[in-house]
Order: sequence, then C-alpha cells, then structure tokens
Amino acid sequence: MMLEINNLHARLADGREILKGIDLTVKEGEVHAIMGPNGSGKSTLAGVLAGRPGYEITEGSVLYHGKDLLALSADERARAGIFLAFQYPVEIPGVNNMYFLRAALNAVHRSRGEPELDAGQFLKAVRAKLKLLDIGEDLLQRAVNVGFSGGEKKRNEIFQMAMLEPDLAILDETDSGLDIDALRVVANGVNRLRAPNRAAIMITHYQRLLDYVVPDVVHVLSHGRIVRSGDKSLATELECRGYAFLDDAAA
Amino acid sequence: MSDLTSYTGAFRADPGEPAWLVERRQSALARFGELGLPTRRQENWRFTNLRALETTDYPPASGVATVAEAALAPYLLTGASHRIVLVNGRFSPTLSAIGPLPAGTYLAPLSTVLRERADLAAALFDGSDAVANQPFAALNAAFAGDGFVLALEDGVALGTPIEIVHLASAAAPHAAHTRNAILAGKHSRARIVESHAGSGRYWRNLVTRVALGEGAMLRHVTLQDDGDEAINTGISRVVLATGARYDAFTLTVGALLSRADMIVAITGERVHCGVSGAYLLRGRQEATIATLIDHAAPGSETREVFKGVVEDRAHGVFQGKIQVRREAQQTNAHQLNKNLLLSPRAAIDSKPELEIFADDVKCSHGATIGDLDETAMFYLRARGIPESEARLMLIEAFAAEAIELVEDAAAQTYLRRHLDTWLANPKG
Repeated sequence: MMLEINNLHARLADGREILKGIDLTVKEGEVHAIMGPNGSGKSTLAGVLAGRPGYEITEGSVLYHGKDLLALSADERARAGIFLAFQYPVEIPGVNNMYFLRAALNAVHRSRGEPELDAGQFLKAVRAKLKLLDIGEDLLQRAVNVGFSGGEKKRNEIFQMAMLEPDLAILDETDSGLDIDALRVVANGVNRLRAPNRAAIMITHYQRLLDYVVPDVVHVLSHGRIVRSGDKSLATELECRGYAFLDDAAA
Repeated sequence: MSDLTSYTGAFRADPGEPAWLVERRQSALARFGELGLPTRRQENWRFTNLRALETTDYPPASGVATVAEAALAPYLLTGASHRIVLVNGRFSPTLSAIGPLPAGTYLAPLSTVLRERADLAAALFDGSDAVANQPFAALNAAFAGDGFVLALEDGVALGTPIEIVHLASAAAPHAAHTRNAILAGKHSRARIVESHAGSGRYWRNLVTRVALGEGAMLRHVTLQDDGDEAINTGISRVVLATGARYDAFTLTVGALLSRADMIVAITGERVHCGVSGAYLLRGRQEATIATLIDHAAPGSETREVFKGVVEDRAHGVFQGKIQVRREAQQTNAHQLNKNLLLSPRAAIDSKPELEIFADDVKCSHGATIGDLDETAMFYLRARGIPESEARLMLIEAFAAEAIELVEDAAAQTYLRRHLDTWLANPKG
C-alpha cells in the first residue's frame, strides 16, 4: 500500500486542532483529489504529510509503503519519494534554481545508492523535461522563485516534480490562480507521472483541474475530517451545489 | 600585563632614520603611553573585548621571516598582478613580484619609501591627523617599519590589479605594525586586492591611509583570513575629493579577535563612497566593524552594506555611523547591517547610526538580526536536501549577496573562493 492514514489528528502550536481524525488510503497507480472549503484542513494535511514544521500530531498514524512516515524528517520523506508541490512556492534569494535542483536530485540519487549526475548529464535531463512540459529555459538561471510570476512559480514546482520523479506527489492547490495554459502544464506534469507504481494526491478548490487529470477517487474534507468520498461525479456535484450541502448532511 | 612597558619599552630609535621620523615616532610612543589600550568604558570600544592584548605581550617582530610558498598559494589571484608580499610585517623580496609598472605609477614597500621618498614618508607619518590620536595608530606610528605604498600620478589608469598579501608565521607571540598608503592623483584608477593570513599567535596592527584626488577611482577588496589565534586591528583613514569613486569591501573570516575601523571623510561633491563587507565567525571568534563616514560636502553618496553570519560562541559587532554636516545638502546615504545568528551562544551587537545636520538629504539605515528563514529551510528539505546542506546553501546565499556588490569580477571570484573554503571547512 502506498499510503495509509489512520485517525490522524493534528493541531497548530497555538493548540487549535485542524485535523480531527483523517482516514485515507491511497494505492499505487491511483490519483486522489481532495476538495473542501477554506479552512477545512486541506493544506494542513499536505503539510503534515510532507513534514512541514509547526504541527503537532496528537493521535493516529501514517504509513508510507508500510513504514511510519511521521518518524521521518522532511528531507528523509522527500528522498523516500514524497513530493509536495507548494501552494506558495518559497522565494530563496541568492540560490540559483539549477544549483538547487541539482543538489536536490543528487541528494535523492545518493540516498538510493545511485551515482550523482555530472553537470552535463544533469543539463541533458533538465532540457528533456523542460521540452516535455513545454517550459521555457529562462526559469533556470534565476534565483529560486525570486521574481517569478504566480504561473511561473507553479510551473517551477511541476518541473521539479518531473525531475525528482516522486512515488507520491502531493499537489497543494497547484491549480489555483492559473490561466488555462499554466493549468495545462500542471495537468500534463501530473498525467506524465501517472504509472502503476506511483500515486498522486491533488488538493484543489475547483473541479476545473479534474477535467484535465481525471481522479480515481474524490474526497471532501470538512472541519478536519473526510466527510464524503466518491468518483469524479462527486466533484461535478460539488461544482453545482457548492459546499453548503455538507453542513446539511453533517447535521 | 598591567602597564604598557612591554610595548613602550621595546622602542629603540633607528640611527638610520632621519631625525624628524625618530622624533615623530617618539612622540607617537609618548601619545600611546598617555592613551593606553582602549577599554570597554569608552563608548566606541564598549563591545570589543581586548583581554587578549592585556594578557599576552606582543613585542614587535624582529628580523626577516620566511614562509613556505604553499602558505602563499591560496592567497594569489589567478590573473596577472603587481604583487607585494609582507611576512610578519616585513617586505619579502622573494615572494613579491611587483613587475614593470606603467609610467606615473609608484608601488613599493614602506621600507623603500622611507629610504627613497622623503616626500611620501612625511605624509604617511602625519601626526596632525585626527586618527593619529587613536592608541593603536599611535603605537603603529612608533614601530611601523614596513607596509605598502601605492602612489598614482594624475590621470594614470592602472589596468592590472595590485595584489597585497600580508602573511604571518609566529613561533612566539609578536606584533606586526604595518603602515600602508594609497595616494591616487586626479582621475587616476586602480584596483587592489589585499589579503591577511597566517598561523600562530601574532598581533597584526595596520594603519592605511587612502587619499583619492578629484575624479579618482579605487576598488579596494580585503580578505581578512588571519590565523585562528591571531589578533587583527586595522584603521583605515580615507579622504575623498570631488568626484572620487571609492569602493571598499572586506570579507572577514579569520583571526580570534579583529577590529576594522574605517574613517572616511568626503570633502567634495559627487563622491561615491561604497563601504561594504561580510563577516563570518565561528568558534570563539570576535570581530568588530566600526565605520565613520563623514559627509562634509554636498551632493555625495554613501552605500554601506555589511552582512554577518555568526555561529557557535562567536561575537560580531557592527558600529556604523554616517555623519551629514550642515553644509552637506543633497547627501544620499544608505546603511544596512544584516545578520544571521545561528547559535544560542553566538552574539551580535549592531549599532547603526545616522547623524544628520543638513535638512535636504536622503538617508536611511537599518539592522536585522535573525535565524535562517524557516520556510526556505523547509522548501529545500522538502526537495530532499539534508538539513546541514540546506543550512549551508542559505548561509552561502546570504553571504554571496554581499560579495556580489563587488564590481570587479576577478576580486569577486577570489572572495567567492574563500567563502567556499569557509563553508567547506567548519573549524567548530
């Protein structure tokens, strides 16, 4: 099993409980979409899975390939094949995008016992992925995300994902605020990664992305719990009726 | 050491020196005797702990010392240069390579200047300058027997950089009192890359005079990489005339205790004064950057950026003052001190200061002290980069941003090389 989340509870440093018993199982080869209103805990779930500091797990467990994910540091998780596409990619002045990506790729290679890529091999791999994703080379020579437009930042996330080839990709609202071209790049990135041994969790507000990346399962998160799960038609239903019905159903 | 006799008692008048210089040295020595070592009770010295100077005697270095060429290698520029190397404060003819100089350019060790150029020597030992009353400058005036002197006639543009390397090798504690001067005539241009390095217990005590004539341009890059038991004190006295363009940058990574004082007088209009640097400190290192930039004429600008990285139990001090006199209208002066404080036992004292008496100026100053950006750390780690490597990437980026202020490509490459050495070699 790729990922098994059991009764996961998490709170912020100020004591506010955000996740109140999440149960979610993701199998190899699946794409799951998680939808839900603002404040329902979607980004917290993504952050907790990726090891973002600032959360306290008070109950429950997360198994990744059968092992305790929560015992790993953020960088260990990444090297184990988890990738978080950030909702707000971080600007890092002074760190060149290529240099950063090569350090990341080599860290992953080292941990797998594979040889590091030399500059030539790396550049070749970069060019191949850029072409595949239809992303311009100009992003590479700049500092990580510094001065990037919103769309460029998201493309950069997808490009990194394509280079690192994760087992489990978690996309935290990667589609929000994108024009249709950028959305296609994102969707293309996820679709190209689909494989029987990989999986993805897409956190999204809108059904729009799901027109391009068809999910196997759609979940609705509300007040820190998954309140509905279904197939793609659930997303369409949400699009028509909004999230208000959730409260009715819960009541 | 409770009295100063180990310093003052070491003085012997050199019968080979002219009477005026012997007299000047004796009065400087007397001045030092009156002033004594600075103490933390003095406002300008209150963050700087000089215990190391009080507890150990540092007699003036004597005789000619040599070092292996391997000790020099890391401090050489890759391209062509006019090079002066000093070992324990004395000119080393074997390691130096001044080479043929263009017309109108004079470059020589101070020891030669004292023999050959009485005109320059007198200016170098001018006792009337305000800086002469600083205790370490007075002690330097009493003992300094060598250093480097660059004098450019009007209009001389030196294409090849000047390379100055101060090395030290101390079997027993000694002091190297070094006196330097850069005297640039009208519309002359030069680049200097100066390095300080060595091993053992020594006190390097420098005085450097810089005078840029009208429209002259100087880029002066300094690497302070003295040994980890060394003390480095230096005072630079800079006078800038109308239209002069001065850019100084100091990368401080060495010495157990260091203090760099820069005192700049802007005496004309349209002067550009760039005084910047970075200090990276670990272990029990302590470094003070103290700058005083005096805008005494209208319409000039100052850019001052110092960035600090302080780890372990190290202590960094920035005391920067920009003074704008009443007549210095339309001054444009900006000062910034940014620090990364990377351990709970490390310390930073930052005292940025603007003193403005003119009413039509654009001035700003600021200081920050913080840890590495947590969101950036998480971003790097979320891509698989281990914590220790992610930290180094962010420290490098922080320091490199300062080094990028150096416009001279060769000097920038040189500093980057030494930044990389620092990052790769945790002395801890």
